Amino acid sequence: MMGNKKQWLIRIFIGGLLGALLAPVVVYFFGSFGVDRPEASQAVGSLWLEGIPDIVAPAMVRAFGSAGLAALVQSLLAGVFGAVAALATLPFADDGKELIVHSLAHFAATALSFSALLWVCRWVDEPRFILLWAGLLALLYGLVWLGRWIGWYGEVVQLRTLLGLDPGPSPLKWKETLPYLPFILLVCDLLPLVLAWVDRTFVVDVPVFSGLLYPYLLLPVVGFLSGLSLGKRQGVCWLYPLACALCYLPMVYLLFNSSALFHCFMVAVPALMGNVLGWLYRRAVPKKR
Amino acid sequence: MEVELRLEPGRQELKIVILAGEETEELRTLARELEGLALGPVPVWLGEERHQLPQSAFLRFYTDGKGVSAQTSTVTYTVRLRLYELEERLDPRKFVRISNSEIVNLDRVTAVDLSLAGTIRMTLDGQAAAYVSRRYVKKIKETLHLGRRGAQ
Repeated sequence: MMGNKKQWLIRIFIGGLLGALLAPVVVYFFGSFGVDRPEASQAVGSLWLEGIPDIVAPAMVRAFGSAGLAALVQSLLAGVFGAVAALATLPFADDGKELIVHSLAHFAATALSFSALLWVCRWVDEPRFILLWAGLLALLYGLVWLGRWIGWYGEVVQLRTLLGLDPGPSPLKWKETLPYLPFILLVCDLLPLVLAWVDRTFVVDVPVFSGLLYPYLLLPVVGFLSGLSLGKRQGVCWLYPLACALCYLPMVYLLFNSSALFHCFMVAVPALMGNVLGWLYRRAVPKKR
Repeated sequence: MEVELRLEPGRQELKIVILAGEETEELRTLARELEGLALGPVPVWLGEERHQLPQSAFLRFYTDGKGVSAQTSTVTYTVRLRLYELEERLDPRKFVRISNSEIVNLDRVTAVDLSLAGTIRMTLDGQAAAYVSRRYVKKIKETLHLGRRGAQ
């Protein structure tokens, strides 16, 4: 325990130091990037459009009254963020409930310290950009979690093999989900194209097939039934609803526009519901026998 | 190699004597492995009734806050030993600690599953569930790599 505590303290120190040292470099780099390409700078919500690139954003210098104080605050905040980020692997030493609680707590601490850094140091000029960066951070967390989970799954497969048991399904059952992919592609990509053609050719005013029947009736029903079938055969396959949504995504922009993005949920949510229901059926049936 | 069995009526503990011309590394390994064999029965209690059960009868040994329990496929007994004392008595090729509070019989594991939260669950004889701490995974793998399964 004492060894762990010492290790944590070393990590906090190194992370804090790196954060404090790297923040001015980051500001300088992106500042010069913004001066050269103001449109790119605006795209990330920056205020570094004024003057020569510096190690502190000009807006922060104005807000704090002096460059020295602004640099000090920036270093402190970046140090806190670096220290928190350096502890990122610690929650993964735990199991089950503790792992989830510690991971969520670490994510909250990271998101909070990063948001403070973005806002106080004027790295973004609108709160919505903080949400954008927090979303990207959440995505990164999700990817790290997935990577870890696949590693643990590899260990479980190894244990099964060493114990002489069946190696079990593939990670997140991606191999078991694959046979349903051609069907999804047919339903989510080919069918709407055919229906859109039918609408354009035979229906004059309202796109009844592609705009009404397909997204509000066919898509949810087919998503649910296919999810049910997969659930009955393979149990819960978390990738299936995601695959449904991703396969349908190009159709949103090809046939409609971004306002129709909710169509992706019209297939993903029923697919998930059907999948879970199929899994419950699969669990229940052997008990009846 | 010649193996001789000598029975001594009344003898409680098994004793093995190896006769060799000179001491070699193979001999030392053999002696170490024989020393590691713990094949004796485990004393357990059901109420005030004492039983001596063979190690192979047990699915797992665990602490539940009150004391140590031993689970077989039908009954859960009380054990008046600490978990680390049990660990020393049990056959290290078959029994392995999977968390701070549990030792399982690897011969009785029928399934190993991983939850989305990263919890590793072992099913014993298709009925009892035991949860593996990831800190012990390496040790479990080492135990299994000792050729425990290969000997079957």
